[in-house]
Amino acid sequence: MMMVTAANTHASLSLDVIQTILPQLIVAFGIALALILVAWRRSQRTIVLFTAGVLTTALIASVNLLAIQPTVVTQLLKVDSNSAFAFSLVLVVALTSLHMSYQFLKNHIEVHDEYYLLLMLLVLGAGVLVTSHHFASLFLGFELLSISLVGLVGYHRESNYSVESGFKYLVLSASASSFMLLGIAFIYSVTGTMSFDANLPNDIYHQQNLRLFFELGILLFISGIAFKLSIAPFHFWTPDVYQGAPTPVTSLMATVSKIAMFVVLVKCVIAQRYMLHGNLQLLLIVLAIASMLIGNVLALKQSNLKRLIAYSSIAHMGYLLIVVIVISGESLAFTWQSVLFYLSAYVVANISLFLVVASLQTQCLTGDRVVKHYQEEPVLNDLQGLFWRTPSYGLLVILAILSLAGIPLTMGFIGKFYILSQATIAHAWWLIITLIVGSGISLAYYLPIIFKLFEVEPEGGNEVKKLERAVIEKVLVYSFIIIGLVFGVFPDVVSQFIVS
Amino acid sequence: MTAIPLFHVLVLSSLLFTIGFTGVVARKNTLFILMSLEVMLNAVGVAFIGAGSAWQQADGQVMFILILTLAAAEVAVGLALLIRMQKKYRSLDIDLLNKMKG
Repeated sequence: MMMVTAANTHASLSLDVIQTILPQLIVAFGIALALILVAWRRSQRTIVLFTAGVLTTALIASVNLLAIQPTVVTQLLKVDSNSAFAFSLVLVVALTSLHMSYQFLKNHIEVHDEYYLLLMLLVLGAGVLVTSHHFASLFLGFELLSISLVGLVGYHRESNYSVESGFKYLVLSASASSFMLLGIAFIYSVTGTMSFDANLPNDIYHQQNLRLFFELGILLFISGIAFKLSIAPFHFWTPDVYQGAPTPVTSLMATVSKIAMFVVLVKCVIAQRYMLHGNLQLLLIVLAIASMLIGNVLALKQSNLKRLIAYSSIAHMGYLLIVVIVISGESLAFTWQSVLFYLSAYVVANISLFLVVASLQTQCLTGDRVVKHYQEEPVLNDLQGLFWRTPSYGLLVILAILSLAGIPLTMGFIGKFYILSQATIAHAWWLIITLIVGSGISLAYYLPIIFKLFEVEPEGGNEVKKLERAVIEKVLVYSFIIIGLVFGVFPDVVSQFIVS
Repeated sequence: MTAIPLFHVLVLSSLLFTIGFTGVVARKNTLFILMSLEVMLNAVGVAFIGAGSAWQQADGQVMFILILTLAAAEVAVGLALLIRMQKKYRSLDIDLLNKMKG
């Protein structure tokens, strides 16, 4: 039977079908070419330009696919407009992070070709994940993503924390992936297929011995994904790894891997409706409530900016999990719209914050004549008076923070509104209450950041001058400000994008 | 030849997995933690092969080969970090890696 399906899918792998996975193919081909390029000429500038070219081409190809009909590419992948949107988002983030990485790495004498290879591998992993339609491709994408992230997290060798955070991330992500794999193995052993849209054979499900393994399998699978999304009981690695990793890498971890994992989780839950039976739904509700509360409460006492963002990301994943819990068969388009909108809002806000944090960190490196030690820990006080020093950065931070806090006229508010309306339809009152309480708590750590921006600097204490900026950086900053403003005030633009 | 019931295979792999996980949690030496991770992955491999043979499909074995590849990649990264740790701390004790708190 397998032979027959394999032959069928092989025959259907025509040019049209290949076109649908063109962005992923471009990135994969780019990785191979980059390896040759490294052998030919080791130069930081060349490889950065090359990576940017590959990612931009992939982005164009991916944007072209936004209106595509769902297409199945072999058994492994399924491309639809949602996955194309998610991958475009990933590519935009990767391009921004590429710029940050270049700023961060160019001050080291050593050439860093491997870094950009790992970055492209990470993007490829995300691309496979968002299109995956089979547990095997899910697994491959997951591992491409996590192993290249481990490499990136431990990359900054001079840092005090690189070994520690790299090791923590390696051990925890390897255990998480083995949990997930064991879950897949159990599910497979009961259902006999690894495709997402498999129908559950009832006779086996009711065999009592195997039923236990089936439920255990789903539990393990969910916990593996929850680890990657840093949802509450699996969140312990998040602040440490965020803090220890170089800032561009942290930004990738906070955005690319979250987008990819969440999209695949939604795909999986939608395709395998049986996942949301009774106990599992209860489990997800507990996870969502726990991460909303824990993330927001623990963020309160953080002074390190990266740790603060880490805890706030835990809370945000909790909010987003509500959408998965209340999925219903009738309104799948609405579910996708909410998920993608919320993810875009979250990603735009996070990447803007990281853009500012990264340039705050590197300016110490390039500042004046002395190459000072790279400022490893960006703390809240570094933002003091930023608005007066560089208004554009200040504005960007304000927009990002307001959006994360969910204040009206920002993207974050619309995203929360989507979630709330979904939850109201499903009458999930407890989740709504927790969401509101959580957002209330979150104001207590978001607003002080904004107050900090406007504080006047102490006399002479702070030698930091105006931020030194490249042209690309300015373009990025202003475009993110515009994106934040336009999509916050006119959310229809994005939602039409998603719907089309 | 009598076939081994799938249930038994799954129990065996769960046991192996638990042993591996206990190793990851309890061991202090990072090298042994990496080895325990391998035990966990191979336990999953046993489950896949058992399930594949029960369903008479090649999928289980294909997954096992993918898992082997993953284990190799993971241990390569892990050993690189291990060498850096040995250089930096002159020890492989996992408890040294606790500088970040908060």
